[in-house]
Amino acid sequence: MSADADADAGADAGADGAPLLAVDGIQTYYGDSHVLEGVDLEVREGEVVALMGRNGVGKTTTLRSVLQLTPPREGSIRYRGEELVGRETHEVADRGVGWIPEDRRMFAQLTVEENVRVAVPNADDTAAALELAFETFPDLEERREANAGDLSGGQQQMLAIARGLVGDNDLLLVDEPSEGLAPLVVEAVAEALTAAAADTSMLLVEQNLPLALDVADRFYVLDHGTVVDEGDTDDVSADAERLRRYLSA
Amino acid sequence: MSAAVSALSAVPVLSVLSALPALPLQFADALFEFLAPSTLGEVIVRGLAEASLYVMIAAGLTLVFGLMGVLNFAHGSLTMLGAYLGGLVLVITVAQSTGGVGRLLAFGAAVVVAFGGLAALGGALEVGLVRPIYDRPPLYQILLTFGVTLVLDELARIVVLFYGLQPTTVWQDVLGTKPAFLADSIGVAGVSASGLELFHVLFGVATVVGVHLFLTRTRYGLFVRAGSEDSEMLSALGVDVNRVFTVVFALGTGIAGAAGVLLAWDPAWGASVPLGAETLLPAFVVVIVGGLGTFRGTVVAALIVGLVDSTMTWWFQNVVSFTGLPEMVVFLVLVITLIVKPQGLYGVSEVGGH
Repeated sequence: MSADADADAGADAGADGAPLLAVDGIQTYYGDSHVLEGVDLEVREGEVVALMGRNGVGKTTTLRSVLQLTPPREGSIRYRGEELVGRETHEVADRGVGWIPEDRRMFAQLTVEENVRVAVPNADDTAAALELAFETFPDLEERREANAGDLSGGQQQMLAIARGLVGDNDLLLVDEPSEGLAPLVVEAVAEALTAAAADTSMLLVEQNLPLALDVADRFYVLDHGTVVDEGDTDDVSADAERLRRYLSA
Repeated sequence: MSAAVSALSAVPVLSVLSALPALPLQFADALFEFLAPSTLGEVIVRGLAEASLYVMIAAGLTLVFGLMGVLNFAHGSLTMLGAYLGGLVLVITVAQSTGGVGRLLAFGAAVVVAFGGLAALGGALEVGLVRPIYDRPPLYQILLTFGVTLVLDELARIVVLFYGLQPTTVWQDVLGTKPAFLADSIGVAGVSASGLELFHVLFGVATVVGVHLFLTRTRYGLFVRAGSEDSEMLSALGVDVNRVFTVVFALGTGIAGAAGVLLAWDPAWGASVPLGAETLLPAFVVVIVGGLGTFRGTVVAALIVGLVDSTMTWWFQNVVSFTGLPEMVVFLVLVITLIVKPQGLYGVSEVGGH
């Protein structure tokens, strides 16, 4: 496809229901280890898509591939019609793709406020970004001067989500947001994600089935580095067994 | 009685034993003299001056290691190039008749030229040589920067020889551009310090404040601190980490260049080709004692090493006459730190973006 055609596709994406993100047959490796063996999926504008599967099937690797942190050796990843494969990670982020990683990846020696500041693309928007972050998670405002490394696991997850929210992103790649959190904190996280989903599309990796089905519109199930099932979450909510066979150990 | 003492003195061991009761007295006298406000003040000023030099030569090293995980063995040679480049500016701009203020202005110009020149060289080295091997094991970076040192030292030697200077001895013309008042002693409240020592302290404080403000008050400084912890996450937040690496490498080598100009005016160091190796070793000591990659640790370690060095120098010059020992004490500080706190005063177990 020519550059012009790329631009046209980008302009049309979303307006006519074309996918915001289209992952097509990606093959990703860690060294010699072949992790993704032809993953195909798409996220449309305004959608929350859950990516499910057992541990080690390639869910996190799929997110890392989209971000070009672990670039695929084959296949295509198009965002608003534009090819991401071959781009730098910061260029992918600049286009509005945010990441809320599995292990939170706080800058532990930076304060809560500094962690938010670093995620704001334009310094002029910092005040508004801090207001949004602290409005969404009042717990964080009380600890804005604390080092992120001193926060509880739940607060760190809130901060990770806040960083994603202030990043002016159109697509958030969210990796296991409820992992290791107390039930009350999971509720707060689910609320924040649901609120964020009102104006941001999401690709959500989540092992907590009720949470995933609650927040997501559609789902994909990965197994052995490939998609083995997909559909609307409404269809499986009444037929949870369809997913459990892929998710149970 | 006196015959008996003479007989004892004839036997070396016994003579030492007979002198033992005098040692505590001698030590007490020395301690009394050391703690006198004028002596203590002089030792502290000298220690602060040394700490300022140490922080200048180590700041760039620690910034680069903190962000990129690269131990830059060429850092000392870059300091040496700064000394020659700044020295050249001083020799060209300062005439016999130039007054003190004019010489200080020339020094300022030399610092700007050395900082700019070395920052440009550092940036080019990062982009051209270091960047392609970030993802390789640390040994590659050590070998590469060590190789750069050999090339830079040899190039400097050739150029210096070409212009008729002796590369292994200090460039005296540069020392001659120093204003007279820096060689004078200045007495304040009974404490006497040389003008050069106070100049070092001022320069060191300005550098520390400048770097601190850059790291804590600027958006780029925020990126540097974030990238020192997790450069991958930083890039996923939309920051061009490669550009941050280049800027920090350039800044680090620029500071090394500025440090070189300061050393070029100090007769104890001076501009010479071996200056690279002479500064690299204490720079590594300071960086390791402070904790690899932490700027705060480097500042504290420079203070400790500087004050310990000046204290021991006083004791080994005035009480126990053994001038080689003070230098050894610096390395003793390193050994003790590595035993008690192997990661350094403020170090964490893992640093660096790669």
